[in-house]
Amino acid sequence: MARLNPFVLFLALASPVIAGVQDVWWNITYVEDVNPDGLYPRRVIGVNNTWPPTPLNVQETDSLVLHVLNSLDVPTTVHHHGQYFNSTSWFDGALGVGQCGIPPGQTFDYVVPINSSGQTGTYWAHAHATGQYVDGLRTPLVLHPTQEHYQYDEEYTIAISDWYHQEHSVLLAQFVNIANPGGAEPIPDSALMYFAQNTTYLPPISGTHPTGPTAGVGFNENATLPFEAGKTYRLRVINMSAFVGFYFWIDGHNMTLIEADGTSIQEYPTDQVMLSVAQRYSMLVTARNDTSGSWAIHFNMDTTMLDTVPDDLVYNLTSSISYGNEPSTPTDLGFVDSYNYLNDTLLTPVNTVAQLPPSSETLNLTFEFDTMNDGTNHAVINGITYNTPLVPAVMSALSLGDNATVQSAYGPSSFVVHHLDVYDILVHNSDTGNHPFHLHGHTFQVINIATQYNVSDLSLNPPVQEGQANPMRRDTIMIPAGGSVTLRVVADNPGVWFFHCHIDWHLSTGLAIQIIEAPQQMQERAQGIVPQYMYDQCQTLGTPYQGNAAGHFSTTDLSGWFLGPYEQELGWLKKGILAMFGCVLTACLGMLTVMWYSLGTQFTDEEVEEAVKARIEAKAKRGKLFGLIKPKQD
Amino acid sequence: MGAQNLFSVSIFIVVFRETLEAAVIVSVLLGLVEQIVNEEPDRLAGLRDEPQRPAITHNVTVGGDDNDESASPENSSSVPAAEDELISKKRLIRKLRVQIFFGTMVGLLVAIAIGAAFIAVWFTEAADLWTKSENLWEGIFELIASLMIFVMGITMLKMDRAKAKWRVKLQRSFSGENVDGRTKTGKWVLFILPMITVLREGIEAVVFVGGVSLGQPATSIPIAAIVGLICGLISGFLIYQFASRTTLRMFLIIMTSFILLIGAGLFSKAVWSFQENAFNTLLGADVDDSGGNGPGSYDVRGNVWHLDCCNPETSQGYSIFNAILGWQNSATQGSVLSYVFYWLAVIAALVRLKFIEGRTKIFWFESAAGKRRRRANEERERASSESTDEKSLPK
Repeated sequence: MARLNPFVLFLALASPVIAGVQDVWWNITYVEDVNPDGLYPRRVIGVNNTWPPTPLNVQETDSLVLHVLNSLDVPTTVHHHGQYFNSTSWFDGALGVGQCGIPPGQTFDYVVPINSSGQTGTYWAHAHATGQYVDGLRTPLVLHPTQEHYQYDEEYTIAISDWYHQEHSVLLAQFVNIANPGGAEPIPDSALMYFAQNTTYLPPISGTHPTGPTAGVGFNENATLPFEAGKTYRLRVINMSAFVGFYFWIDGHNMTLIEADGTSIQEYPTDQVMLSVAQRYSMLVTARNDTSGSWAIHFNMDTTMLDTVPDDLVYNLTSSISYGNEPSTPTDLGFVDSYNYLNDTLLTPVNTVAQLPPSSETLNLTFEFDTMNDGTNHAVINGITYNTPLVPAVMSALSLGDNATVQSAYGPSSFVVHHLDVYDILVHNSDTGNHPFHLHGHTFQVINIATQYNVSDLSLNPPVQEGQANPMRRDTIMIPAGGSVTLRVVADNPGVWFFHCHIDWHLSTGLAIQIIEAPQQMQERAQGIVPQYMYDQCQTLGTPYQGNAAGHFSTTDLSGWFLGPYEQELGWLKKGILAMFGCVLTACLGMLTVMWYSLGTQFTDEEVEEAVKARIEAKAKRGKLFGLIKPKQD
Repeated sequence: MGAQNLFSVSIFIVVFRETLEAAVIVSVLLGLVEQIVNEEPDRLAGLRDEPQRPAITHNVTVGGDDNDESASPENSSSVPAAEDELISKKRLIRKLRVQIFFGTMVGLLVAIAIGAAFIAVWFTEAADLWTKSENLWEGIFELIASLMIFVMGITMLKMDRAKAKWRVKLQRSFSGENVDGRTKTGKWVLFILPMITVLREGIEAVVFVGGVSLGQPATSIPIAAIVGLICGLISGFLIYQFASRTTLRMFLIIMTSFILLIGAGLFSKAVWSFQENAFNTLLGADVDDSGGNGPGSYDVRGNVWHLDCCNPETSQGYSIFNAILGWQNSATQGSVLSYVFYWLAVIAALVRLKFIEGRTKIFWFESAAGKRRRRANEERERASSESTDEKSLPK
């Protein structure tokens, strides 16, 4: 079904804007009473007073300029997930890394140089500020090449996400809380699947009449993908969740993966695919010739990530593919035999890029979660939890001059790499959950995956192979529990790039580092092209925008920047020793007092007898029951 | 199952203490019988003749009951020979002793029966009450137990005076006087007296054990109670054998220190349990469920030390340490301060008691009893010096 055919169907559907710049205006607003799962109306963050935000579709010959007006009451940013922003990392949109955030009422123009990045495929755009994407600010971003590698008749974008009924700030306050020392992540209330064709969301199936702001969009059972017999479809599946991964499969249809995270891959037939947060896959699906009935599309939550599975949580969800008949209950073949983890190294990019030469530097990272010294649960990488710098690292790099190459200036969770160096990121997951890590500004080569990094079994913990002909490249990789990955990157993109777990609860508790790549080249290339309003917005927000991470022109002075919390110190600390000493001392004094009481002058037996007699007489005089019953006087 | 679940130290102590008290009483009684029969035969006027009665072996009548007294003058008219009197005295003593032991056994059996029934009802009917907020109940029970142990420990120090005290009480009851308005003399006095005494101590023990055993697994009771009983009996016997008050006093010092160590530990554990309960309430789950030690297993607020080991909930050895001294691998300000304050309260109580008893001054202050004792002493000294003067004068 897939042939190397240059035919491109959807050019006709593309935006009428002449190749060059595609301008999109976003007014980021709250949208009230959004109830996509039909269970609970809530406030979400949308665009232009609608939700979900309209998908972005851009031709590879265009650059995208996203004009963002912040109509919220808090600063916001937009991150184009997977885009390179070569040498312009201030457009990357990560709060505290690239920018201070768009102040309420102000505008930021994100220039996404798609025409020069050579990137095509399936991406997404989302807020990268205090979990606002969890509140709804997320949408597919599809980059169309002029010439597709695989041929298909039509394409659909499938957005999947977990869904919370409470706002992110409320959930975060419960999550990062002394009452949650185990760090149990907020459990989603449900999950959503909805479909788009280019920039249009598919409506609900006929016969259903949802209400509210999302009445025009079908979700889950109310949504369906219209298929026509004999046609081949490209389905772009995006997991836009805050937390959970999903297992995706379609009953009665075969899937062939052709793209992962924007990288076109050799056809990879599979009967299910697991998408962890922020991952994307494109697949070719050929419609059935038998057009009776409809078929279930499954998206099951990876419930192993949930600390508890509430009784009322529907974690196995479905939508459907229909063939134009009257709506009927879709054929649901039920469960798969087992959930399979897709090892990324089994995928092969279409465009061959040989393995980069052995690295000159390895960022050796081990992360885990623990209860910190303030009683809350945080993630630590090499023992340190990520704290957002006061000065966004991009601005530090641009303002520190020669000191910009000094790693300590950026704070504890920072790594400086030199221009065009090849470096490895070796990440050990010493947690018991799977973690999807995302590197901004790059696609990395997946050099090695160990499903168990601390064993000698070579099938679980294989050694790094050099000289691979064409290793898999992507921008988000799931690191299995107890496993490790080796990612190889060439530092060809001057800028500051965030490397973090894309589970928002984990990013919020510090599972991140920042990589300062080629700061000198960054400074050279930034000359005269950094928009001044970027600094002005920092000033509006009262945030420093030059100097080191804490706003000082120093490589070591980070005063004024709250760092931590830190891992707990256990054992006999000073206060413990003092307390123990106090306990022992008073106990000894007490026992000495016991001895002192018993020794010394004693009552003679006569004295005791006299005292007892006196007491008995007193008692007899007083009468029974504390004097209530007087004894007979006789 | 931890050692704590098989042996409850506080139950051991309660049973031990009550057994000891009962043993002291019985030993005093035994001594008293001999003394009275030998030294004060008049007080047992009626008893002397009993051996001469037919079929007396079982229906031994004791004491100055009106019937006996009326009978005694008749029988006393035929006075047997001195040897016969000695033999009859010995026989009388033996029979009275048998009576005492018989009474003791009955009292003990009844007490044990009541105790067993009480605990059976308690653990089958009431135990469900505190399965939910376990730590809260544990805290309440530990608090009750620690306060009881406080009182018990301090009064136990006065036990070297118990012999004298009981001697007075028993002599009075013996001579037909009203003691505590409870025990009345009768011909069964040497049966009834130990029985009632043992029963009283036993029921006290049952109430105490019930109070202390709340929240403890039923399995922790029997061994501790039996061992406490045995130790109490042995100690009681030793006290009876070695009548020296000094020896007894040393023994009591050690026992009381031990008891108070446990009491302080219980008090500290009570506070700890309340705090744990508050933390669990905050968490909405039992923090123990998250497993073991280390970060996340305890509340960092107010924590004084936390060791990533040595958890009494999971380690057998430390559970004993916990039961005896109140050890926690995660100490809080509350648990440390409560431990310290318990001992400070012990010190304050003992100093006050000794002061009130008139056995010590606090700085230059002297209690009323102290003044009275000093004057009595001075008088006695004066009297003795006068008597020595009188003795020395003629020479």
